[in-house]
Amino acid sequence: MGKLYSLSAAQMKDLLNKKEVTSVEITKSVIDRIEKTDKEIQAYISYNFDEALKQAAAVDEKIAKGEKLADMAGIPVAVKDNMCTKNLRTTCASKMLGNFVPPYNATVVEKLLDEGAVIIGKTTMDEFAMGSSGENSAFQVARNPWDTSRVPGGSSSGSAATVAASQVPVALGSDTGGSIRQPACLCGIVGMKPTYGSVSRYGLVAFGSSLDQIGPMARCVDDTAMLFKSICGRDMRDATSKDYTYKPYGDSVKGIKLGIPKQYFGDGISAVVKEKVYRAVEVLKAQGAEVVEVSLPSTDYALSAYYIISSAEASSNLGRFDGVKYGYTGSKRGSLDELYESSRSEGFGDEVKRRIMLGTYVLSSGFYDAYYKKAKILQKNIAKEFDDAFKLCDAIITPINPTTAFKIGEKSDDPLAMYAGDICTVTLNIAGLPGISIPCGFSAEDNMPIGFQAIGKKFTEDKLFTIAKCYENAVGGFAVKEF
Amino acid sequence: MEIDIKHIAKLARLSIPEEKVEKFQKEMEGIIEMVENLPDLNTEGALVDPSDTMQLRKDEVQPSFPRDEMLKNAPNTAAGCIVIPRVVD
Repeated sequence: MGKLYSLSAAQMKDLLNKKEVTSVEITKSVIDRIEKTDKEIQAYISYNFDEALKQAAAVDEKIAKGEKLADMAGIPVAVKDNMCTKNLRTTCASKMLGNFVPPYNATVVEKLLDEGAVIIGKTTMDEFAMGSSGENSAFQVARNPWDTSRVPGGSSSGSAATVAASQVPVALGSDTGGSIRQPACLCGIVGMKPTYGSVSRYGLVAFGSSLDQIGPMARCVDDTAMLFKSICGRDMRDATSKDYTYKPYGDSVKGIKLGIPKQYFGDGISAVVKEKVYRAVEVLKAQGAEVVEVSLPSTDYALSAYYIISSAEASSNLGRFDGVKYGYTGSKRGSLDELYESSRSEGFGDEVKRRIMLGTYVLSSGFYDAYYKKAKILQKNIAKEFDDAFKLCDAIITPINPTTAFKIGEKSDDPLAMYAGDICTVTLNIAGLPGISIPCGFSAEDNMPIGFQAIGKKFTEDKLFTIAKCYENAVGGFAVKEF
Repeated sequence: MEIDIKHIAKLARLSIPEEKVEKFQKEMEGIIEMVENLPDLNTEGALVDPSDTMQLRKDEVQPSFPRDEMLKNAPNTAAGCIVIPRVVD
């Protein structure tokens, strides 16, 4: 039992059920692991160790009494720092919320606590989830466990890094334009962005409300699905959430039709990534999947539509940070306008300011029709093209990130280069579809992980888990970094 | 495409320090150039999907958060209220 921390959530659950270990033992092992490795990984903004041990002890008490346990009972979970945790600082990796202690739990956190999960800490991220590398954190830059000179991806950088470094078995991320799938891909783990509406957003600090979605990250498919199962479903406090019932998944792709859109395999995608994704398709084909070509012609415009819509919503959502009600308050307080301006200018980092200003610009008088309205029309077209493609197939397979993880600092001065990397992930958020990131090998050039994406129709997460599980079995499981 | 970054910043209640104006302006112009490529499409039909309805909660009286708990995060309070700079003379 020396390495309890390295077990999967499913293995932990099994040992707990057999009473071979206690949740306190697991939690202590995880805490010890984090204390030993987090100086290097820097995945966490806040630790919740004292409270976590109490939560674990409460589960152990239930086990001793012979009570039936929920799936996540006694399992340590890391939570991205943009989901509200009652009495535990929730910063969004921003100076703006550096001292914010929420008076309530996000629905996903509440659901996990109800099941008896152990919240181990809050993970770092790009400030307000804006970024693709984790470098936009106001506090610390998480490292990629496969090579700590490289980024883990973003914006759920800490959640991906902590799982990949076997600090915890599972973590929650959020995904507005790829922020779960891309870091999962770059860190060689599994990450799922659920259908818009299948997981409640209540208590998730809003970025682009019509695109944001919370989802699970783990080192294997079963754990990813187990965490998803415990957080999905309708919540009255999020009017966009849907009556979603979790459906079990299988492990056979026999007869499943996989669509391959050529627009996702263009010049912008590196040869090594394309090769690995095509090879993954071959693996699935050998397992009985059928492969068809599909076309998603508006893909070229998706990045523009995404940055217009998400920034427009962000500029509106982030209007609430005014230095008055909560959060950072600025140094100039002579007038209300001065208070607003100094609070926002001192509290937000540069990337957040860029997005707010882009959103302000595209929504401003005279430009609305040229940008925002066009982007919304394009959003409809993109969704329709997916609908048409799904008449020919059950799921669509694409790359996730054009390259493997890049070096820290390599792109941080070039926002456009950073934005361009999101081309394969943003379309799902625009169309509200679910997508899963599945590891599919390593680049021979830099030994960094590569992943592929399976995209499904709305509310077909079970099918995506089936494809992922089939692939995982076929390749004999995913590599775990000895760290 | 030239952008008046100071004006946009003002609309967004942000101030950009003088030494960063040029950098922000250049970056913003680059970003706008990137997102400008949207094609002219048929603009008929609603932009909201009528089949994708939101389910509102029932309008029932429920306990709300206690005031003192909500005010714990406020930077400046007095007598159970949030204090702001004077807005009327």
